[in-house]
Amino acid sequence: MIEHALRSHIQRRRCTLLGVGPMSVNCVDSTIEIANEYDTPIMMIASRRQVECESQGGGYVNNWSTEQFSKYVTDRDKKGKVLLCRDHGGPWQNSFEQNKGLGLKRAMESAKQSYKVDIASGFQILHLDPSIDIHGKPDIEEILNRLFELYEFCWSQAREYNQKVLFEIGTEEQSGSTNSQDELDFTLSSVLSFCKEYKVPKPTFVVIQCGTRVMEMRNVGSFDSPVRVANEIPTEIQLPKMIEICNKYEVFMKAHNTDYLSDESLQWHPRFGIHAANVAPEFGVTETKALIKILEENDLQKLSEKFLDLFYSSRKWEKWMINESTATDRERSYIAGHYTFACEDFKEIKAEASCELKRKDIELDMYLKHSIKENILRYLKNFRMVKAK
Amino acid sequence: MKRVCTIILNRNLPEITDKLCEHMLEFDGDYTDICVIEAGSDDDKLSKYTTWHAKSRSIVAQGLRYCRGMNYGLVQLVKEKKFKQYEAFFLLTNDTEFKQNGTIKTLLSVMDEHPQIGILSPCSERWGERLLLKEEATKYFWFIHNNAYLLRRDFIEDICNDKNPNMIDFLFDGNNFRGYGTEHELIAKAYANDWAAAITNLVLASENESHLIDRFDQIKTQGYAENLELYITEGRNWMRRKYGFNSIWSMQLYVKNFYDHFFEFHPEFSKYKI
Repeated sequence: MIEHALRSHIQRRRCTLLGVGPMSVNCVDSTIEIANEYDTPIMMIASRRQVECESQGGGYVNNWSTEQFSKYVTDRDKKGKVLLCRDHGGPWQNSFEQNKGLGLKRAMESAKQSYKVDIASGFQILHLDPSIDIHGKPDIEEILNRLFELYEFCWSQAREYNQKVLFEIGTEEQSGSTNSQDELDFTLSSVLSFCKEYKVPKPTFVVIQCGTRVMEMRNVGSFDSPVRVANEIPTEIQLPKMIEICNKYEVFMKAHNTDYLSDESLQWHPRFGIHAANVAPEFGVTETKALIKILEENDLQKLSEKFLDLFYSSRKWEKWMINESTATDRERSYIAGHYTFACEDFKEIKAEASCELKRKDIELDMYLKHSIKENILRYLKNFRMVKAK
Repeated sequence: MKRVCTIILNRNLPEITDKLCEHMLEFDGDYTDICVIEAGSDDDKLSKYTTWHAKSRSIVAQGLRYCRGMNYGLVQLVKEKKFKQYEAFFLLTNDTEFKQNGTIKTLLSVMDEHPQIGILSPCSERWGERLLLKEEATKYFWFIHNNAYLLRRDFIEDICNDKNPNMIDFLFDGNNFRGYGTEHELIAKAYANDWAAAITNLVLASENESHLIDRFDQIKTQGYAENLELYITEGRNWMRRKYGFNSIWSMQLYVKNFYDHFFEFHPEFSKYKI
């Protein structure tokens, strides 16, 4: 039923479905409110680091467990417009499994446990991504074997819970490069054979790399670049070929790392027939920037400095930096901000900031949500999910 | 009689140009004549191998750039009645570097093997396209960077402005000064006229951008970033004026349409389709 509704929506309206990363409570609220206000489906794509099951310690977003997160969204999503999705499920996709250095068997068990809670909590789209291995570099055959194991498990759990779930596959990594056409063809062909043999539904989405890559606060992949990116097939060549392959297997194509693309590039997503696209860190950065901006505009520099120090010292910006980056400390702070939103230090400063702003008749969270919503709407308009004019 | 004429565009970098000329003379000299265009170079910065020195006031001020420069060279050959003596023209900027010793013999053998190819380019070590050239060393593309185009004369004659050969629009559209989008246009014209555009990995060529980045003042041009911005802005304005396209992607689909159409009429070449 969900699949039928999604297919019909995407194909009838020739649009690209948006996946929003739940970067913060305000981001989640903004997504729910926009989806309901505009009567448009939006995928809420939670990674395992962001939201994780209770037994594995929850995630960094509001310290939510999967169970709490699901309840929070479902209770507020009055029209049922938000699709709960697991983004990059699979072994070693959360810090817990990586920090413990779990072996393959344990990591697979842990990933399955996570999926089981997803399904029980009403997640509707599961991204099966066994491409990470902290102990080695598995070849495509091995990755496919792990994928099939997870696929079969999730499908049997869904039946047990009488839940309808859709599957997303794709061994995407944020290389900005492109999984090769041969690799995509082989993967889809193998997965479809598996689905036929084991009588499980075929995947709805496949992740393809179409030249997007997020670093710092911009998209540095070839999609938006007017000049060649070394060692990459130009998107002009790669994208139409990948679309042809997806269409051949009748699987929807999903782009990841779509953050920060220009309006022009986004507008071409539905025209090319890219069925869905994920955006995550940009919304976190938007909220952080808005927070600092409103404080500085209201002469609350001391508070903004406190926030910036907290963000910077978290060092969560590190993994996003390009080599020999010239980014300022402030820019690094913007990148790291949302990772700290659930910590006590942040909450204390925010409470003080909210009080100060309230004296000036400014509702801080309303203001922050407004900024995030504007940003989400940019995508929805360019993706033809809502009318631009 | 040599089958190819290599046209090299230089502006104030004589030693780089000489090095390229000497490489070609040593390894490709049996197959090609070499013509060097000085695009408004200073009199004391001419290559030893200079053939033509374009030095009108505007060319001295801003150079010729790729489109006008290559048109200029081809038109000079027409004027000197040498154009028809060659089978193909190898268009190079002076920052081109070749991986192998000999290039043109191999390119000619590819052209001989594929009589429908109008545009042929060596692959580059830094191009991802090399991943698509495994089983077949040569394949037909709808997008090729113009590092080093070998253009068949018959193809040029099919599309050029032969009524009034001039440096603005003989082959490339020099109204688009820096040339963003002109490769797309040339390839669209090729497929629209039943010619193919191919890349081969049998020879490799690359563009050494460090000259443009580090020696732009010597070349008497803008810095890399400013140049890039002008390249894109001018190219986009040109696309809009000429085609009504507001995006390079429209241009891209326009080319791809001709590409797909070509294979509908030539299923025999399907193994060269990417």
